[in-house]
Amino acid sequence: MEIFNALMAGFGAAITPVNLLWCLVGCALGTAVGVLPGIGPAVAVAMLLPITAKVDVTASMIFFSGIYYGAMYGGSTTSILLNTPGETASMVTAMEGNKMAKSGRAGAALATAAIGSFVAGTIATVIVTMFAPFVAEFAVKLGPPEYFLLMLLAFTTVSAVLGKSTLRGMTALFVGLAAGCVGLDQISGQGRYTGGIPEMLDGIEIVLVAVGLFAVAEVLYAVLYEGKVVEGQNKLSRVHMTKRDWKRSIPAWLRGTAIGTPFGCIPAGGTEIPTFLSYAMEKKLAKDKDAKAEFGTTGAIEGVAGPEAANNATVTAALIPLLTLGIPTSNTTAILLGAFQNYGIQPGPQLFTTSAALVWALIASLYIGNVMLLVLNLPMVGLWVKLLKIPKPQLYAGILIFATVGAYGMRQSAFDLFLLYAIGVLGVIMRRFDFPTAPVVVGMILGPLAEAQLRNALSIGEGSAMVFFQRPMSIALVIVVLCVLVLPRVAKRMSDRKMQRLAQLDA
Amino acid sequence: MTTTSSISSEEAAAKAAAVWPQTLVGAGVLLTGLGLAYGALDISSDAGYGGVGPNFLPWLTAIVLMICGVFILWEARSGGFRELDPPTGAERAFWPGFVWVSAGLLINAAVITSLGFILSCTLCYVMAVQGLRRATGQPSGAPRTWLVDIVTGLLISAPVFWTFTQFLAINLPGLTSTGWF
Repeated sequence: MEIFNALMAGFGAAITPVNLLWCLVGCALGTAVGVLPGIGPAVAVAMLLPITAKVDVTASMIFFSGIYYGAMYGGSTTSILLNTPGETASMVTAMEGNKMAKSGRAGAALATAAIGSFVAGTIATVIVTMFAPFVAEFAVKLGPPEYFLLMLLAFTTVSAVLGKSTLRGMTALFVGLAAGCVGLDQISGQGRYTGGIPEMLDGIEIVLVAVGLFAVAEVLYAVLYEGKVVEGQNKLSRVHMTKRDWKRSIPAWLRGTAIGTPFGCIPAGGTEIPTFLSYAMEKKLAKDKDAKAEFGTTGAIEGVAGPEAANNATVTAALIPLLTLGIPTSNTTAILLGAFQNYGIQPGPQLFTTSAALVWALIASLYIGNVMLLVLNLPMVGLWVKLLKIPKPQLYAGILIFATVGAYGMRQSAFDLFLLYAIGVLGVIMRRFDFPTAPVVVGMILGPLAEAQLRNALSIGEGSAMVFFQRPMSIALVIVVLCVLVLPRVAKRMSDRKMQRLAQLDA
Repeated sequence: MTTTSSISSEEAAAKAAAVWPQTLVGAGVLLTGLGLAYGALDISSDAGYGGVGPNFLPWLTAIVLMICGVFILWEARSGGFRELDPPTGAERAFWPGFVWVSAGLLINAAVITSLGFILSCTLCYVMAVQGLRRATGQPSGAPRTWLVDIVTGLLISAPVFWTFTQFLAINLPGLTSTGWF
């Protein structure tokens, strides 16, 4: 009942005309950045972070969440019609959705993606509503050792597990940690790596890194390597689902939601695993002979419905670790954390007591945003598709103007624009040589926080590392970190051996 | 048989071509680690009660990056990066376009405070669009194209400037003190 009352108060704050307008603008902007190639939600939020200087915290968080959500809806449109997934979350949608579009069923694919996103987003929001306060209550009991280990878990998963190469993932993570070291040390106040440059005392702004790595790097990469890439667009058919489509989609949406939600809740980062798991499950569960034959050929609707639902459920549930533990599990949530920090608010267990009005207004806005996005994406899909007609040179050059606003608007420093370019070049090198970028952003944001928790924990333990093994929760976290590091490798080695054995038998 | 051998010879050629760039990346990571270690020498090690001071994380990152750099170098020199997804796009870079876009960004950084946001960003836009047009093979040098790009740049920069300065009160540099240009 307490949660219900708090949620109702949240709705009261969220449905003021101004906040509704911010939500609508955020959702529309999010859909647009999801549809447009070259910019994702992380960079859109990053470029707009300077608004935190003026706009009220509730309004700006509602706005940013709208972008975060909207981009997931918009991303599926591009994947289905162009087969160019804007981010890993839409990769699976692109696999089956594009095949459906090629066989003249783009409308059904778009409809199942949008409705599936709505269903999963709403269910996951209900779960956030019900469970986040309990997680926050539990998290109050966690001390610096547990916090440090949770952050270590986030570092491990984002760098060592999600990417293909642990070496390149680790390199990216430590580049991010190094960037996070620049500026004043949080505890002693001592300057680190400032090089005598006054701007460096404040550290490197996360906006610079996000905008440089994602937006500027994207433009530089496009001009260097993708000038001659020609994308064929599939024809948009009527956005409509038949009775059979509904029958096949509903269970897939529910299964996708069930897979995606737990993945969002844990600091294991990313939507790749749940979306691929959902796809594999749908492929395996396809009983109907026709449906089975559609996978990988003409496109099966379950292959779009399940992963899209899993994707949205993960993205929504990722707000639980962000709001209750202050731990971001993706690029965009890392930047949302940066937005909170700009207001002097540190997400974590105390957030539900110190900023209850803000948190509940934000959660209420997720419900409202989901409805807005369904309306924006189903009847108005034709409008969004028109965005794909913007010529690439003008689109990418226009992105640079917004990148300038984001980078310059934070500190009014021209030096930051030079730094932005340097980070953009670094982003091109990382992309060309297959270094993941998420660990850089997560390392940079979480690095200083993890360092402070580590030093606090060691102070509590009077310098002894045994402090990490003295409480059940910290021991459990140490075991989880070790499992995350060891198990995937053991599984891979076992499957390699199995393959070798099979190959020998065949020979 | 012929197809298989031609594919493997193509792969071998691609790997050979990637050795030097990959070596440079490894060297870059190693040098970054060394640079961080050099910078860490200046950071105090005063640990207080904790046992680790402000120089702990800098030293940790420096050492790990040096180790990563050595491993990347080793990978580059012994058959190339492991588990590498082939990069998207063309094999060869289009450098003239890169120069145009880079010049746009760097000139923007250099003149934004003196020319003001609108003109500086328009300049950046025009140079970037010229580079991107060349990369896509579109006509780029005609006076009409330049004029269209300048007008488009102004039509994007000016409303962006007004929105952010007038409605969101973000400080962006203007050429005049009117707040409109």
